[in-house]
Amino acid sequence: MDNPGAETALPPYRILDLTEGGCILGGRLLADLGADVITIEPPGGSPSRTGPYYKDSDDPEKSLFWWAYSANKRGITLDIEQPEGRELFKDMVRQADAVLESFGPGFLDGLELGYGDLCRINPDIILTSITPFGQNGPKADYQASDLTVWASGAYLYACGNPDRAPTWIGFPQAGLFGGAEGAIGTMMAIWHRNNTGQGQHVDISMQESALSPNLNVLQMWDVSGVEFHRLGGALFVPSTGVRQPIYFECRDGYVMILVQGGAEPFVSSSAGLVKWMQEEDMSPDWLSGLDWELDYNATTMGQPIADSVGEAVERFTLTKTKGELYEEGAIKRRILIAPVSNTRDISQNLQLESRNYWEKLEHADLDEPVLYCGPFIRMSETPLISLKRAPRIGEHNDEIYRDELGISGKKLGSLKEKGII
Amino acid sequence: MSVKAFEDLKVAEFAWVIVGPSTSRYLAEHGATVVRIESFKRLDTLRRTSPFADNKPTVDSSMAYGRHNPNKYSVSIDLQHPNGKKLAWELIRWADIVTESFSPGTMEKLGLGYEEVKKVRPDIIYLSSSMQGRGGPHSGYAGFGMNAVNLCGFTEVSGWPDKRPAAPHGAYTDYINARFNALALIAALDHRSRTGKGQWIEQSQFETSLHFFAPPIMDYQNNGRIMKRDGNRYAEAAPHGVFPCRGNDNWIAIAVMNEKQWLNFCRAIGQPHMAAQKEYATLPQRKKNEDELEKLVADWTGNLTPEEAEAILQQVGVPSHIVARPKDVYEDIQLKERNYFVPLDHPVMGKQSYEPQSSFIMSKTPRQIKKPSPCLGEHNEFVFKNLLGMTDEEIAGHIEDGSIPTEPTGQFKVSM
Repeated sequence: MDNPGAETALPPYRILDLTEGGCILGGRLLADLGADVITIEPPGGSPSRTGPYYKDSDDPEKSLFWWAYSANKRGITLDIEQPEGRELFKDMVRQADAVLESFGPGFLDGLELGYGDLCRINPDIILTSITPFGQNGPKADYQASDLTVWASGAYLYACGNPDRAPTWIGFPQAGLFGGAEGAIGTMMAIWHRNNTGQGQHVDISMQESALSPNLNVLQMWDVSGVEFHRLGGALFVPSTGVRQPIYFECRDGYVMILVQGGAEPFVSSSAGLVKWMQEEDMSPDWLSGLDWELDYNATTMGQPIADSVGEAVERFTLTKTKGELYEEGAIKRRILIAPVSNTRDISQNLQLESRNYWEKLEHADLDEPVLYCGPFIRMSETPLISLKRAPRIGEHNDEIYRDELGISGKKLGSLKEKGII
Repeated sequence: MSVKAFEDLKVAEFAWVIVGPSTSRYLAEHGATVVRIESFKRLDTLRRTSPFADNKPTVDSSMAYGRHNPNKYSVSIDLQHPNGKKLAWELIRWADIVTESFSPGTMEKLGLGYEEVKKVRPDIIYLSSSMQGRGGPHSGYAGFGMNAVNLCGFTEVSGWPDKRPAAPHGAYTDYINARFNALALIAALDHRSRTGKGQWIEQSQFETSLHFFAPPIMDYQNNGRIMKRDGNRYAEAAPHGVFPCRGNDNWIAIAVMNEKQWLNFCRAIGQPHMAAQKEYATLPQRKKNEDELEKLVADWTGNLTPEEAEAILQQVGVPSHIVARPKDVYEDIQLKERNYFVPLDHPVMGKQSYEPQSSFIMSKTPRQIKKPSPCLGEHNEFVFKNLLGMTDEEIAGHIEDGSIPTEPTGQFKVSM
């Protein structure tokens, strides 16, 4: 889908991005699509310039989190809590399409920068507010973190080992969902505004995003009164209570193999696995003789056979690496195997390399280029914009304040002195 | 009557299971007309997935399917049948957006691939979503959602350091992918409205989902550090975890994110002296002594219900929430306030609760769920007659020749 010199999906909609944490992803996605996203950091830099850092340098200018999620944005500093900063922000709102923010509910209202205030400055402005629980309601003012929001969505309860506390995904996800929802909600509002001239307030709840990955877990309770219990990765068959092991240790980590029977494509996959084990003299006779359609049918089988199959399969996987099981087993033999990849495996993945996924970006102040995740999606007519490094603290202050807003050098100097910029 | 942002938008959905159907829901709950093209021969996997209303597994009684498809219409077409293909083309001519999520090459084999569609409808926006994308050695890899969770690294960093990885449940990455798709579709609509041009949007679910894991990947690429699983700990906070409460399998999540919260936390649990104690006075010290610290926290939470602990901690401004169980979310006062669960009458399943896909409320064009999930082929007449303008005789002809099947073929099998 290479299409050099192509236009972008979005015109340079002006988006003012006041979000922090995982929510900063939202502005990044709009920028990738062609919007002019300006991230507004407090003087001194955003608290989202967190670790890990490039070469472990502990330097907010080298935050990998910031690089990943603020690339393609422009960046200015501004203290919107000071009256003069507020006025400057209002000047920018006049020319903006949307404002993204993730403060606590009411914070912007307290600065007289709430939705109603912004409308008086720019009647068709769109304000997108991303918060843990939404703008109104009994939990709107709850103190929350990524983990506690995750807990409120019940998906956390479904994850982890049965004999210990439920566990989250080690890299926080709830804020990222909030950011992605922010981008979608903002675009819907822009679409509506383009059609009607009307702006609006988009009120995002990260709790609702945290409910989303539950698949059928909530309905199991609501429809059947069955409470799903976390299984540490095994497959659970509610009708029989049998747990089928599907994670197996191998020489350098773990793989998942969907060892299942009953129906296709599982029967063929499991038979293919047994055939491979036979070729290497690792399939006991009883396993070679197993009828995957009848003997390993989830609705009729018992726990002992699940355990025996699991042990036999693991004896085999322990002789191989993740890479061998994936390439030979999944790709060549079409067995339903997936490696439990770590960040090194992902970085060395053949498919990503073959699709030229990684984007290499020069940073003027670094000796070597830095690799970034490639386009989040491929669009034939309007490819995502080629990557620009995330802004340094206040990098575009002059460009935006002086060149675009026409603020004099003298006034800029005074604003800097007062710590507003 | 409320206005809808996508009132006149039309979507022909060949996509199935989770990613595609969740994508179009963003549009459907904001006014778009979404028609699912389904097959009796090759049932959507979710139609065979529990739970089933009244414990009666049938094609039309799965709420796993229901959850992912309210507000949509369903037609049943045999795409292998030449006259079924004609119907598919009628729907493609009608639509603004076409979505599909089969293995790469499947739509092409049916003669319905993007290049073919483009010839007839250069302005179509066509979304193809597959696990690993077109091209490359792993393109044909069988795409179950659970596979992607492992490939993308989420499994490796879930669970405990002394245990096997505990994979995030289900098809986690599907719910990431739907969001990126919805965004790309709206951006493509914006582009089309200005230029008249359609386009092909091609998603590798693997590539998309890695954006939810980008900093740890960069940490390896730049610092050589491989991220490991570590329970519920977080480098920049302590205590930060899930702690046991009174009762069976009851838990509370607590995250003390700064020094003020630490002070308040110590007071709230009746250990004010602990705040300044040298083992715990600063974050680096709390991280160093985190095992002991977590025991002290668990001693306190163990005597309380999750709700009691949450109330005490919220009162002093410490981030905390009960680890909600499925039953809890149906009683959640905040979700009630936002009308999250929407009860609707389904012709086969009776009254069921549906959830929105959009995690947001728009002040002027709010989300709305007004139709339950469709039965398979429920809207054959409505779609072919009212939307496409076919005559009763034409429709009867398609039913007669089998290109609009109306009966399941073979025995209904539950998948899980």
